[in-house]
Amino acid sequence: MKPHSVFRLTLTFIFLLCIFIVISGCDQKGPRVVKVALVAPLTGDIAAHGQGMKRASQLAIEEAIQSNRFKDFKLELAAFDDRGDPKEAVTIANQIISDPSILGIVGHLNSGCSIPASQVYARRNVLMITPASTNPKLTQQGLRNVFRLCTTDDVQGKFAADYAIDKLKIDKAALVHDKTAYGQGLAEEFKKEFQARNGQLLSFDGIDVGEKDFKALLTRIKGENPQLVYFGGMHPECGLLSKQAKELGLSVPVFAGDGILTPEYAKIGGPATEGDFASMTGLPPEKLPAAGKFLESYHRRFPKDDMQPYDPYTYEAINIVLDAIEKTGGDRNKMIDYVAKVTYSGILGESSFDERGDTRNKLITIYTVRNGKFVYVD
Amino acid sequence: MFFQQLVNGITLGSIYALFALGYTMVYGILLMINFAHSEIFMVGAYLGFWALSLLPVWVQGWTPGYFTIVFAIAMMGAGLLAVTIERAAYRPLRRASRLAPLISAIGVSIFLQNLIQVTVSAQSQPYPDTFKISHYEFFGVQVNSLQIFIFALAISAMVLLQVFITKTRLGKAMRATAQNHTVSQLMGINVSFIITVTFLIGGALGGLAGVLNGMYYGSIKFNMGFFPGLKAFTAAVVGGIGNIKGAMVGGFLLGIIEALTVGYISSAYKDVILFAVLILVLIFRPTGIFGEEVTEKT
Repeated sequence: MKPHSVFRLTLTFIFLLCIFIVISGCDQKGPRVVKVALVAPLTGDIAAHGQGMKRASQLAIEEAIQSNRFKDFKLELAAFDDRGDPKEAVTIANQIISDPSILGIVGHLNSGCSIPASQVYARRNVLMITPASTNPKLTQQGLRNVFRLCTTDDVQGKFAADYAIDKLKIDKAALVHDKTAYGQGLAEEFKKEFQARNGQLLSFDGIDVGEKDFKALLTRIKGENPQLVYFGGMHPECGLLSKQAKELGLSVPVFAGDGILTPEYAKIGGPATEGDFASMTGLPPEKLPAAGKFLESYHRRFPKDDMQPYDPYTYEAINIVLDAIEKTGGDRNKMIDYVAKVTYSGILGESSFDERGDTRNKLITIYTVRNGKFVYVD
Repeated sequence: MFFQQLVNGITLGSIYALFALGYTMVYGILLMINFAHSEIFMVGAYLGFWALSLLPVWVQGWTPGYFTIVFAIAMMGAGLLAVTIERAAYRPLRRASRLAPLISAIGVSIFLQNLIQVTVSAQSQPYPDTFKISHYEFFGVQVNSLQIFIFALAISAMVLLQVFITKTRLGKAMRATAQNHTVSQLMGINVSFIITVTFLIGGALGGLAGVLNGMYYGSIKFNMGFFPGLKAFTAAVVGGIGNIKGAMVGGFLLGIIEALTVGYISSAYKDVILFAVLILVLIFRPTGIFGEEVTEKT
């Protein structure tokens, strides 16, 4: 044997030994480990939303562990990163269903991710509650394991169009969307209602996620003289859109959905975002009578971070999953039946789900940017 | 509106053209597509970002000097990075097949993106808006000082480069190396040194494009180089890869086509039309607009 191959053999042996140690390490006796998965974009453009959701989940799990509700289980949070990418979401979903200790999924954020991933979870009957995906199609697939805590885009888009017509007195609008399930879906719902109410739709354009230059598009839109630009999409694109619109002298407000409602929006767009509007599902946490304690403990636990719009929903979703584990002893099938019938009273008030799995709370609120911050107006 | 779109397109094209020069110069000398160039652009933007935000206030007060320092830092840093990449990832593969450095370049690109993502931030960061923007209007066309600044800077960088390539001894040596490494070496040219200089200049121009891109759009991110990189590479190919004039013309052409497509046809079809132009150019002039017929080097 050459010395070279002896060295290689030794390496292989050490490697196998390591694998053996790792595998045997998993077999430790002790209380059953039970995991709740959070899937959200933790990196990438819209990581601000995802990181907020992760903080809210951590808080919920830590509180549950401290309260000692689960004597037989060792509770853990398993956070996964789908990067807001539908392909990645499916990969992660397959990874999740292959882990029997994961009893429930809270996520995803993007509708484009939630829809394909939900089909994967349905194969193993794993409970999925999305705190943030608003595209109506998600719950129209007839999957019994899928629930949604936020109001859908058909309600949100319609509300936004009515608000623009009734309160902002807009009758000419230009629409832009980011070609995603969420962005385009929302823009289409807005368009439907806006045209039904005799609003004049000037244009309907798609842009790409990750794009930075909207000047050419905005130049054309400016020529159409809109009173409002409605945008279906997320904050990185919308912030730049708003900024470049004002640079070109198109000084009309930008109106968008819940996807832009984060402090990051005004940071990207700068002073140009002043007076822009965003719609949001549900009431702001400050207006929820039961959310006071949550707000307080969130800011105590994460003093340096801003609360993101979907943090209260994520916190609530995790708690519903925990409630289901507690009441059913952690059986995947029974958990789904339990959540379908539950009326959970938590920080969002009373939540229950209709036959499709959508929440019965169908409130929409409107925010506007004032002094670089989103404030609740209506 | 046509002239407004032209202004948008020319600004965009200035950045593409500066960016494309790095691709084309490296290809001219090494016959290799430097896929890491889009990350040099990104790192350049970050260097400019740190320089803009970290320079002391008294420097910030003195505007021309301030921007000179910022651009110098970003360009030097990006140039040195390009040289380092060449030393570490391409030079050891100089005698390997032409595919090997290409793969190595993709590796470097992934490495740099992830490095910035992990060590700096995974999110987009607002670029400091220290450049005082004033708006002008000529016959209904909105032009701002930043657009003029970008255009002027890009044009002067290109003119300087052209003078350097055609008028200096080093530029002559560069052109010779592009034609044939072995013969250049026999004539007493230090080929390795020429390659280093090529990467230094190409990288510096890429870094400059990165800072301008950051200043123009006001936000930067670890993967910001990807899309413009693709467009700049296309610009280099359309103009005739390996040809410096071609990269400049290709950059402006692409920027203008992009703006006009969005303005008159549809924003959703922007990239479709852009790449259709690439395909048409490759069908009718496989060597690009300025490319010359060359026999395949062996």
